[in-house]
Amino acid sequence: MEVMDRKRRVFVLGGGVSKFAAERADGNMRDWINEAVLEALADAGVRIEDIEHSTTSYFSDHFDKQLKAGAIFHDNIGMCPKPNVRVEGGGATGGLAIRNAYAYIMSGLCDSMIVFGAENMGRHVPSDVAQQFIALASDTDWEVQVAGFYIAYYAMMMVAHMERYGTKEEQFALVSVKNHRNAMYNPKAHYPMDITVEDVMKSRMITYPYKLLDNCLLSDGAACLIFATEEWAKKHSAYWEKKPTIEVTGTGCGTDFMRMADRPFPYPGITHFRGKRTAAEQAYRMAGVKNPREDFDCFEVHDAYSGVELVSYEDLGFCKEGESGPLAERGVFDLGGELPTNTSGGLIGFGHPVGATGLAQGVEVLRQLRQEAHPKRQVELNAKRGGMDSHGGTGTFCVVNIFERRD
Amino acid sequence: MGLELVENLLEVFTAEDPMAFDHPQGDPWSDFREIMRVEWKVEFKYRHVLGKYSKFFIELANHRFLATECGNCGKVWAIPRPLCPDCLHVTTWKELPGTGTLESFSVSYFVPAFMKVETPYVLAMVKLDGADTLFTHQLRNYGDLEKIKVGMPVKVAYTVEKVSHPMLLMWFEPA
Repeated sequence: MEVMDRKRRVFVLGGGVSKFAAERADGNMRDWINEAVLEALADAGVRIEDIEHSTTSYFSDHFDKQLKAGAIFHDNIGMCPKPNVRVEGGGATGGLAIRNAYAYIMSGLCDSMIVFGAENMGRHVPSDVAQQFIALASDTDWEVQVAGFYIAYYAMMMVAHMERYGTKEEQFALVSVKNHRNAMYNPKAHYPMDITVEDVMKSRMITYPYKLLDNCLLSDGAACLIFATEEWAKKHSAYWEKKPTIEVTGTGCGTDFMRMADRPFPYPGITHFRGKRTAAEQAYRMAGVKNPREDFDCFEVHDAYSGVELVSYEDLGFCKEGESGPLAERGVFDLGGELPTNTSGGLIGFGHPVGATGLAQGVEVLRQLRQEAHPKRQVELNAKRGGMDSHGGTGTFCVVNIFERRD
Repeated sequence: MGLELVENLLEVFTAEDPMAFDHPQGDPWSDFREIMRVEWKVEFKYRHVLGKYSKFFIELANHRFLATECGNCGKVWAIPRPLCPDCLHVTTWKELPGTGTLESFSVSYFVPAFMKVETPYVLAMVKLDGADTLFTHQLRNYGDLEKIKVGMPVKVAYTVEKVSHPMLLMWFEPA
């Protein structure tokens, strides 16, 4: 796959996030989308009437029992009669939506795209019902019927990693500590917390080896990003070249068998995210990334569970297989470390309203590259490049997107 | 007259601005903080077809464990599929002995809503003898949780009791 003539380029003009929380009873999905959209429009200095196309990003029709919710979001922000498309890929939905905006603009179908996403996952239904809805995103004939659900699947992946590489529970607990701590500097985050490895280890066992604090959050919230070509931005964005210019320079997507049982065994089998490697290879080739640990200033990683972040480091090429635990102990991925990850707090600290999550990663990388993040979580810019990784299922759909600052 | 007419009403309340930190000039939505919550119950029943892999479930009831084999590449898919995804050849049924090795597991103390299983329960990934891929099911009759080890031999066991789904006609247990 040789990507693209570079005649067209795609830029990130603005972003917005409506607060992630355990419950946003002050409104529902359409209200949160409105808030995220208004923030993104103000941030980009553009008017909705000039934007040509929208992409809807949400995962499940079950959480709200509202099919075609995108039609509602789209008309709420005055986009009718302009075109809209919905993208869905489980946890990767937001990442896919960013990739979709890139593809639509690169193809010339439009010069500008607003992408909005949300999920109503908080306390709208009890958490055992929420886990049931999420379990429906695994094979309902073969896996769900034996009481398979996502924490249990990921726990089996992590046990395989522990067996193969000697990875320790305390090592992935460190990811939870880091991400909850990073969230303390993000006022939009669901679960900021100053905790220790011991707190994580002592929290209630959900599914061995994952304790309560190893898990990401069921959150309410929304996020929005606005993309356009340079020509469009020059004409329609009040802040073009007044704010730092941020370009989408890479996107990759990979997949794996829905059921872990079918994946090539024994390797990468159920230990690694094969699809994530494919996604990263594509995105890195597009952006010219050779050594990810040096070539990125920050990276939002899909920390659905703390151990997932460690395994993702390996599959994203931040380190060799089995090295992620020891590197986490050395603080390589902490704020101030070699490659700070999940500066926003990630899915564990910021929150995980699925359709918004991948977009919120994009908003975080945008803020970091523009040096607009809270001073306590702002990274140092060297490569002037940030990455984001989101995946659905147990790495069934994986998306890696890359933003770069152009000075 | 009034809200008592609304049978599914759960509550009416005044919401706080969750992003007050972003609104130093005041709450832009101050006119819209009165919130109503109602109950909405939806139930569905499906008449679900178990596809071309139905024979697997039919034979489970006869205490036989079937997989599918690709006549072209020879790969045996433990979770049966009528089409080999490696070479797009139509597969054939192949009976396996039902013995295998535990490759990974998890122990759950939490169960999603509609699943009827006592906690803790063990989900297992098993490499069945004669198969090239894994199979996912519960591990039962393991005695003590501490005794569960990756690499231990396991076997398919079959129920003689009524079950709520054909997949539950079997489980794994230590061999």
